[in-house]
Amino acid sequence: MMPPRLLLVLLLLLLNARGLPSASAQEQSKFPAAEVAFYEKEVLPLLKTHCLKCHGGEGKKRGNLDLTHREGILKGGDLGPAVSLDQPQTSLLLKAIRYQDGLEMPPTGRLKPAEVEVLTQWVMRKIPHPADRLRLQPKEPAKVEHQGGVVTAQAKNYWAFQPIRKPTPPKVQNAAWVRNPIDAFLLAKLEAKGLTPNGPADKVALIRRATYDLIGLPPTPEEVDVFVHDTSPNAYPALIERLLQSPHYGEKWGRHWLDLVRYAETNGYERDGPKPYAWRYRDYVIRSFNADKPYDQFIREQLAGDELPGWNPDAIIATGYYRLGLWDDEAADPLLARYDELDDFVTTTSQVFLGLTLNCVRCHEHKIDPIPHADYYRFLAFFTDINRYSNDRNTRSMSNLTDITPPEQRKRYEAELVQREARMQQLRQKMTQIENDAIRKMPAEDQRASEGPEREAVLKRQLKKFLPPPQDQEYFALKRELEQLQRQPQPERELALSVNNCNPRPPATTVLLRGNPRAPGAKVEPGFPSVLGVPDPELPEVGPNARTSGRRTILANWIASPNNPLTARVLVNRLWQYHFGRGIVASSNDFGKFGTGPTHPELLDWLASTLIEGGWKLKSMHRLIMLSNAYQMASTANPQGLKVDPANHLLWRFPMRRLTAEEVRDSILAVSGRLNRKAGGPSVYPVIPREVLAGQSMPGSGWGQSPPHEANRRSVYVHVKRSLQVPILATHDQADTDASCPVRYTTTVATQALGMLNGQFTNDQAAAFAQRLTQEAPNDLPAQVRRAIRLTTGRVPTAEEVQKDVAFAQQMQTRLGDQEGLRVYCLMILNTNEFVYLD
Amino acid sequence: MTANPSSGSFCRRTRREFFWEAGGGFTAVALAGLLGDAFFARQTVAADGVSRYVNPLAPKPPHHPAKAKSVIFLFMYGGPSHIDTFDYKPKLCQLDGKTIAVKTFGRGGHKNVGRVVGPKWQFRPYGRCGKYVSDLFPNLATCVDDIAFVHSMYAESPIHGSAMLMMNSGRLLSGHPSLGSWVNYGLGSVNENLPGFVVMLDKTGGPISGPKNWSCGYMPAGYQGTVIRADATPIHDLAPPAGMARETQRQLLDQLREKNEAHRGLRLDNSELAARIASYELAFKMQEHAPEAVDFSKETQATLQLYGIDQPQTADFGRKCLLARRLVERGVRFIQIYSGGAHNDDNWDAHGDLVKNHSKHAGNTDKPIAGLLKDLKQRGLLESTLVVWGGEFGRQPTAEYAVGTGRDHNAYGFTMWLAGGGVKGGVSVGATDELGNNAVENRFHVKHLHATILHLLGLNPNRLSYFYGGLDQKLVGVEGADPIHQIL
Repeated sequence: MMPPRLLLVLLLLLLNARGLPSASAQEQSKFPAAEVAFYEKEVLPLLKTHCLKCHGGEGKKRGNLDLTHREGILKGGDLGPAVSLDQPQTSLLLKAIRYQDGLEMPPTGRLKPAEVEVLTQWVMRKIPHPADRLRLQPKEPAKVEHQGGVVTAQAKNYWAFQPIRKPTPPKVQNAAWVRNPIDAFLLAKLEAKGLTPNGPADKVALIRRATYDLIGLPPTPEEVDVFVHDTSPNAYPALIERLLQSPHYGEKWGRHWLDLVRYAETNGYERDGPKPYAWRYRDYVIRSFNADKPYDQFIREQLAGDELPGWNPDAIIATGYYRLGLWDDEAADPLLARYDELDDFVTTTSQVFLGLTLNCVRCHEHKIDPIPHADYYRFLAFFTDINRYSNDRNTRSMSNLTDITPPEQRKRYEAELVQREARMQQLRQKMTQIENDAIRKMPAEDQRASEGPEREAVLKRQLKKFLPPPQDQEYFALKRELEQLQRQPQPERELALSVNNCNPRPPATTVLLRGNPRAPGAKVEPGFPSVLGVPDPELPEVGPNARTSGRRTILANWIASPNNPLTARVLVNRLWQYHFGRGIVASSNDFGKFGTGPTHPELLDWLASTLIEGGWKLKSMHRLIMLSNAYQMASTANPQGLKVDPANHLLWRFPMRRLTAEEVRDSILAVSGRLNRKAGGPSVYPVIPREVLAGQSMPGSGWGQSPPHEANRRSVYVHVKRSLQVPILATHDQADTDASCPVRYTTTVATQALGMLNGQFTNDQAAAFAQRLTQEAPNDLPAQVRRAIRLTTGRVPTAEEVQKDVAFAQQMQTRLGDQEGLRVYCLMILNTNEFVYLD
Repeated sequence: MTANPSSGSFCRRTRREFFWEAGGGFTAVALAGLLGDAFFARQTVAADGVSRYVNPLAPKPPHHPAKAKSVIFLFMYGGPSHIDTFDYKPKLCQLDGKTIAVKTFGRGGHKNVGRVVGPKWQFRPYGRCGKYVSDLFPNLATCVDDIAFVHSMYAESPIHGSAMLMMNSGRLLSGHPSLGSWVNYGLGSVNENLPGFVVMLDKTGGPISGPKNWSCGYMPAGYQGTVIRADATPIHDLAPPAGMARETQRQLLDQLREKNEAHRGLRLDNSELAARIASYELAFKMQEHAPEAVDFSKETQATLQLYGIDQPQTADFGRKCLLARRLVERGVRFIQIYSGGAHNDDNWDAHGDLVKNHSKHAGNTDKPIAGLLKDLKQRGLLESTLVVWGGEFGRQPTAEYAVGTGRDHNAYGFTMWLAGGGVKGGVSVGATDELGNNAVENRFHVKHLHATILHLLGLNPNRLSYFYGGLDQKLVGVEGADPIHQIL
């Protein structure tokens, strides 16, 4: 490990390197001929063979290091100067060729000792070079390609970092079209381009659009009729109100949030073990949306709910936020794994709440945004009181579970339970020790088997043989006591996946050079991205009874503040995206320069200030957006619009969209009549075909069996297993759970069609659908067909359409029998584009 | 940032704008890679919602002329012992049973001493190149003049879960696209009647982490691997359910098409609707062509014997190898076959009894793999088909337990081999130390293997990228990696 002082020097050089005269400025005197000859005869051939290919010789500068001239070596690369003239023996170049401190150069294999010696000599002699290699000739022009990684005055002027102000809605020519300010902002841009917004969507399209957008389910034909026949001006606002009050609203909008926070119920990797009680977090999210919880409170609960006063189970459950990510129970490099876990917090929090890609500065300064390398570690320092998910392979740990039982009830059992559990742990430890001693004497194959799920079987079969007295007596006494304790009734208590047993005094955080946990740099304190110009927070006093460091509350309060320029903008942009298919900033997790600029910056700010003024309530934002004329436009094309703005950036029409994965599955269940609308609780397991389970290393493992009625619950309640997905959800672009998912794809490939046509789920549901039709319109095929079309599209079919479908269904019935023929018809209807696309 | 724009180390503005132009539905149609201007232009037009639909898996031009058109990756899951197969270490025989100081790192953690287990099989020289191969592979040994051995591989993890992800996706963390996804993303598929990236699993089950190993990570779902079986219903959901005759299904599809066309009539500008209509026709064709690909009835007896399909021990893997050849003939880009599945001795993970374990797995695969190489060669396909063999890591020279021959995992040094597809035959590059413990000479990281595979397929590993999470992601990582030139 490098001495800390040297590292500090390196770091300072690194941070100051930009734009300063190079270190070689004072070292430009020529070297004696003998020294130059040494370089040319001994050193240069070595460099050419082993180094220059990547470092300057062939146009490549890996790690930004150029070894072709002296100045390049002294300036160094991302890790700092390659050679130190003051302390040559500590030079990075020498460490690298000696494979020290995690540096391994050349990576293809170590140099021979004699070669190392030549380069060492050269460094000790202050790296002599010929005159034409003292520095780059000609001098590299100072290209300023970007301002990444540096906070300049100009960088601070970037739009997303400016305070949010409420702009006045612009004046427009066609004022009659403006129902609320949203329309004015959109119309002004359209008029400037000579575009006219589309007329209103027909009422069936509108109720389908609004219903899917707010609750993720199709409207029933009865709901469509009520809406279509209600000609009062209040019909549409009343519809929106009804949908906002539906308990299904939280299921639809909670799912958006679950996408963002990489929600999954297992840990990934070899065992992909279950996250205990993860579903409580899912229910908390759904509850929060249904209750219209202010967004600032929602932020505080998730980031620092455990630091809120009093018994507040929802706030504890909310901190499950930190526990949803990947966790390797057998990390090859535990230190790196710890930083990967912290990286997951930094990445998710910065992208989801702030629209910043702080993850880009884990290893180096941001390539384009004004975010220095150190900012990553300052941000990371807010999270360091959170202990690892678990310190062993156990998926339940002291740091990821919290007892949220009401205090009164808890008092009754806690003392006894704590004592009992402590004793049980003690017993288990003693037993394991004896077992392990015995296992070490067993044949290799038994030893091997004992490390997996077969351990119990091995012990049962072999343990007695390998336990000498009196150890055997001792062991079985322990076992009896343990079994007795295990038989005691468990108290009724509720646990939550959360952060717990935090470290109130976390160790100091340092910058990690190139993100390498074994190359610590300067110490840093918790702080916000420096470009925002917010002073570093004062850390709270950590009292003797503190349970956490209190840092996350500081972070949460800063993020949830109305003065934060990013938080409200990022949230309203997401609301816009989920309603209009694309955000005002299309890259909704990235408001930086890598992302897209806003198409309607004033509208974004107007929405953001309206959100804050309204107390961070989402439902009033939905009302506002959905009651605008813009939201109610038809999706039809017109030649002028296609010509001027083919991608519809300016929203001259409402964009069509395909249903999401969950909507596809839920809609099929809804029209077949099999949807179970029960809310909340542990997740369910729809049937996954055997061929799909065969891909697992233990086919079927980790996938339970739910009774059919339970399996037919909404997709938001389906168990989210990282390494196994329900086929119909996977092929329709369910969110990837390994990282925050800001935008869903819309994939269309042949294997998806195969699943919809031949898959067990759609075929079973087609049968249920046919049964439903037979019950609702017995012995009346035209009525059955009309009903099927209404259920899947909402609209009343034309006579000609019914006639054609009846002819097809009859043909099928003649060939396959009434019920099976009708089933084939239903399968066909479930596959139509009109069913899965919204106007 | 370097001043050299050709280094392509991050996304430039025009390209970035293109990505978000695609906005709207963020469709797979629109998400394109860094594949040259012609490709971009075409995709950009398709993204406007006006032009004709372009299948996301349509063939795309490579960066440079390709040597290999297809890849068959024979994944020896569990980690075969390099020192008992292809990396001959005479010194180890002498040390057999002796306890020596050696730094190892495996599932059992870091160790500084260990009892040497000498190679359990005889090594003999084969071919014109005189390559030493152990008696585990008597058939494969006859192919050494077509094979390039890389003895100096190293990886970052000696733990199955993360090491599998590294070999398949270049990262220890999951969530990244696998090699096959990158290949399909970069080149598309020349046969739209079959998936472009297929995976064949062992009959005992998938590898650890299952589908994560052929996942497309952050790429659209169309790039993920499709599990294919060498039996009558090779692809999940390929066959219509019992009772649905092909004629009935055709009528269903005709009716569906008519309805979909009527719906599209008012929405002609929406290319996604046309895409979905096309996808049903593709699915119908796939139903016809995929079973034909697995129908061996026209293969000669001699061919079946060549692959060992006539012998119980080798029949299973032989069928997979033969299917691989047939898929190559039909233009499938990337085929991965797993030898070994599930846990413990169902795969190459020889912790307990090395001899029993490796005899079984080498015995299952030696003849079929040799048959595959010979068959490809005699049909003139080997030149354009890259065959890759290896596991997620190798094994240690020392014993894992106090007694027995089992070896723990070793990511410090192991062997992979490549054949065909523009690779030199009869060469061996790199070396481990005399114990076979560490790669010491011409060391190659997994990403160099990936770079080699991409390079042979005509893709520049340092240019093939996908914009995600604020970065231009690459299979070979931000630092980039060059192919293993010594074998090209």
